[in-house]
Amino acid sequence: MSNEIVRTMDVVAQPVQEYPVDQVVFTPPIDIFETAEGLVLQADLPGVSSDSLELQVQDNKLSLFGKVSLPIPSDARIIHQEYQVGHFLRSFILSDEVDHERITAKLNQGVLEVVLPRHPKPEPRRIQVRSD
Amino acid sequence: MPVFRWGQTWDPFRDLEREVDQLLANVSLFQGIRFGRQYPPINVYELDHELLLIAELPGTRAEDLEVLISEGVLTIKGKRSGPEGVADDRFRRQERPRGAWQRSLTLPAHIHEDQLAAELSNGVLRIRLPKAPVTAPRQIPVTNGTP
Repeated sequence: MSNEIVRTMDVVAQPVQEYPVDQVVFTPPIDIFETAEGLVLQADLPGVSSDSLELQVQDNKLSLFGKVSLPIPSDARIIHQEYQVGHFLRSFILSDEVDHERITAKLNQGVLEVVLPRHPKPEPRRIQVRSD
Repeated sequence: MPVFRWGQTWDPFRDLEREVDQLLANVSLFQGIRFGRQYPPINVYELDHELLLIAELPGTRAEDLEVLISEGVLTIKGKRSGPEGVADDRFRRQERPRGAWQRSLTLPAHIHEDQLAAELSNGVLRIRLPKAPVTAPRQIPVTNGTP
């Protein structure tokens, strides 16, 4: 059994055309760390607000799509550029260990945090041993 | 018999090289374009009456950020810490940059240094730098010096 609960998919192969293609789409950098309850995923999504973020779990695929629209005046001319403005897209395969029903997420200062709890461990069950 | 077999299709090293190239291409996908060589990435726009500087700083709190201006040089510095109380060996993946950083930019126009307005929202820092009127060039009379 794989010990990786979350595996990232090849993002380049994602069907980007499902989304508007008028802007560039980027792969946001992520951190994934373990806690006692499960896993926490954090993604950098600068410029994304909770209204412009789509986070969905379908079957065992978790996907995030963050729309970025930076309010730049139309008459602004760019004179120095180090990054391109674009949307964010990334998908993950969740293992069965993740309790899909209890996934929660919050977005703060352009960082998405998704809490992926493990299924609760079933209580140990006592098995009666009989002797013939 | 040729000593060097030029143009042979069987070449395991070439394949390996291609693999490495692909790996590098994947890495540069976010490190090259998004983060460049410097952190944070900064774009500067020019409008008629002001310059607009926009930097991507996700996860940075306003109290961890400092914006300074002095004699046409704008300095922004700050730090970005990882999640508290999480040991390094708990990480399955660590792609987000963290640590202390500082950047200085020489502004390409005269600006009112006392009228800066900086605002941080959704992890994006916007600094508005109102342009100061360019002082009219002053003519300096040149007189003939006595030899």
